[in-house]
Amino acid sequence: MAGKSGRSIKAEEKLTAKKLLFTWEGALILLFIAVNIFNMSISQSYTFANVLREMPKYLAEMFMVLPMAYILVLGDIDISVGSIVCLTGTLTCYISNAGAPFPVVILGCLGTGLLCGAFNGFITTSFPELPSMITTLGSQIIFRGIAEISLGGGGSVSYTNTKQIMPLSTKLGKTVPVIILVVMLAAVIFTVVLQRTTFGRSLYAIGSNKVSAFYAGVDVKRCRFIAYVLMGFMAGMCGLFLTAYTYGANTTTGQGFEMEVIAMCVFGGIASTGGKGTLVGGIIAGLIITLLRIALGQANVNSQMILVIVGALLIIAVLIPGIKGRFDELKKLRAAA
Amino acid sequence: MKRKMVSVLLTAVMAASLLSACGGAGASTESAPAAAPAAEAAPAAEAAPAAEAAPAAEEAGAAAAEEATGGADVSGKTFAIVVKSAGNPYFKKAIEGFTEVIEGNGGTVVVKEPSAATVDAQITEIQSLISQGVASISVAANDENALQATLEEAMAAGIKVNCFDSKVNADSRATFCNQAGTTEVGQALIDAVLDLSGGEGQYAILSATSQATNQNAWIEAMKSIQESDSKYANLELVEVAYGDDEPQKSTDQTQALLSKYPDLKVICAPTTVGIAAAAKVLQDQKSSVKLTGLGLPSEMAEYIGNDDAHSCPYMFLWNPSDLAKLAAYTSIALVKGEITGAVGEKFTAGEMGEYELKDAGDGGSELILGPPFQFNPENIAEWKDVY
Repeated sequence: MAGKSGRSIKAEEKLTAKKLLFTWEGALILLFIAVNIFNMSISQSYTFANVLREMPKYLAEMFMVLPMAYILVLGDIDISVGSIVCLTGTLTCYISNAGAPFPVVILGCLGTGLLCGAFNGFITTSFPELPSMITTLGSQIIFRGIAEISLGGGGSVSYTNTKQIMPLSTKLGKTVPVIILVVMLAAVIFTVVLQRTTFGRSLYAIGSNKVSAFYAGVDVKRCRFIAYVLMGFMAGMCGLFLTAYTYGANTTTGQGFEMEVIAMCVFGGIASTGGKGTLVGGIIAGLIITLLRIALGQANVNSQMILVIVGALLIIAVLIPGIKGRFDELKKLRAAA
Repeated sequence: MKRKMVSVLLTAVMAASLLSACGGAGASTESAPAAAPAAEAAPAAEAAPAAEAAPAAEEAGAAAAEEATGGADVSGKTFAIVVKSAGNPYFKKAIEGFTEVIEGNGGTVVVKEPSAATVDAQITEIQSLISQGVASISVAANDENALQATLEEAMAAGIKVNCFDSKVNADSRATFCNQAGTTEVGQALIDAVLDLSGGEGQYAILSATSQATNQNAWIEAMKSIQESDSKYANLELVEVAYGDDEPQKSTDQTQALLSKYPDLKVICAPTTVGIAAAAKVLQDQKSSVKLTGLGLPSEMAEYIGNDDAHSCPYMFLWNPSDLAKLAAYTSIALVKGEITGAVGEKFTAGEMGEYELKDAGDGGSELILGPPFQFNPENIAEWKDVY
């Protein structure tokens, strides 16, 4: 099942251990190990217990890496997710403060995310000629606007009943945060769906070539819509867990998350042009960035410098395949000459 | 394919060299590593006294011995300051003051300037400080409640938490270094009015909105001080006008005051927006009415002067450097166990003198920095670039 571009679908490749090592994911695993060694060398506090304790705040973002991978594989992008996090977080606080029981709070939050995603999906699929960057830029402003209106003058809201939301931020056996288990479960489901189901393969087909996918019988509109709905849902999940850690939301909640999430995906080898990359790569890349930031923070490298380092890593990661492509072209030219 | 491997390794090496280059720039600390306190102490602030009773239990080695004997200095201990965001001159001054005091007492300072002025970024920084096992954290909070979970975790790990400039709720702190005590601000303002009016005459107040908590409290303080002392007896407050912290409305209200009260001598604007608007009106109209209040030096620099060409002889706000110094002394006192954060405790803040923890009215305690800082023609040039 090779696409028009000649790329074959990853899921059908037979991978041996040696081959695995030479894929982008294999390289990421090596980098993951290297980063951990590096982290231990710069920070005495880089212990398993400390990392486990610092992880949850970053892990909330990991929820969004999963569906963002779907959207990038489609060749689309969604930059409204940070605003969805803000909106769902805000509404969750209001729902909880109104005295709603815990399940209603959770459903309200995830439902809001779902609706935001459906809105994005509807706009994007109804006007396929518009780039998704622009449509989601619009909804980014709209969602944050709604959140700011509902937050009113003070600009922030906090849970009056923090006990209700606490189960989400507790630690099992006082060591393992609940969020880690939920993220792992979500990661497995999203990976299996992307790598092993017809829907997942349809996403790759659409991302490789929308037109040929359409003529091959793939329901392009439906697939894109579902991807956006999933994105909204998981942004809601992020909002839910994030507010469980911050005990509230404010106008800056989730600011910049969209770029961090996209960065993790791209670093993981998921090309923003679509049709390429695996979720395993995205997840490992997300972990690498997270761990690096934790260790640099522990070593008291200032926060702007951390951004510079992560940014530099990202550019290098994006450049490598490009440089390799140029080398291959040169080789071909030499061979022809 | 091997090339890919090589390039990945290259990436790692490049990243490593980048880091070692910049590692020196960031505040590097060789402090005692985390003592990994497994204490499951009740995380509430009220539990702090209990934890204080046995401060040595959670600390490791020599540091603990030193503390048990009530060690005179705090060498070897690390004190962290978390500001609202990076690149803010106001907090640059605060960091300077904090560092001066801590290093003067032999301690090590860790400065955390979050990349964005968000509470999320502050949580990340504080989590990192918990891992490092610092002795204390002083934070200028971006949100009153959102840091609660993180700060409770820090306190459970044996870290002393205090806040300055912007407080966190009572459960999340030992104490709060408040820059603006209501009485102190009211006193400074009414004295300024008395001075500028020459001891008698009409004055008006240009406030923010009619519901603004801080402004109303200060105005009430001014009124009650005026009633309590006969030296203010010849002052007459003609009106409290509300400019709603909007430049245009504040300008209109100032003009209305001038036309309504031709004998007006002083306008007092205890809000940064109001004072800037009023300053411009008075200066443009070359009015003889004088202005004072609370203002930002950067906005007010061109209006401050003793001659008739300037509308505002002096005004007040607080000094971020002094505030952070107080936070530093508070941190030291907390770490040494001199105070626990309970109302009524006293300690000596170095050259700043003795301070008493007062009831903050929110269930916790607070320290009041003192009278607000006066900005006058002599020092305005130095401060106008700060904030």
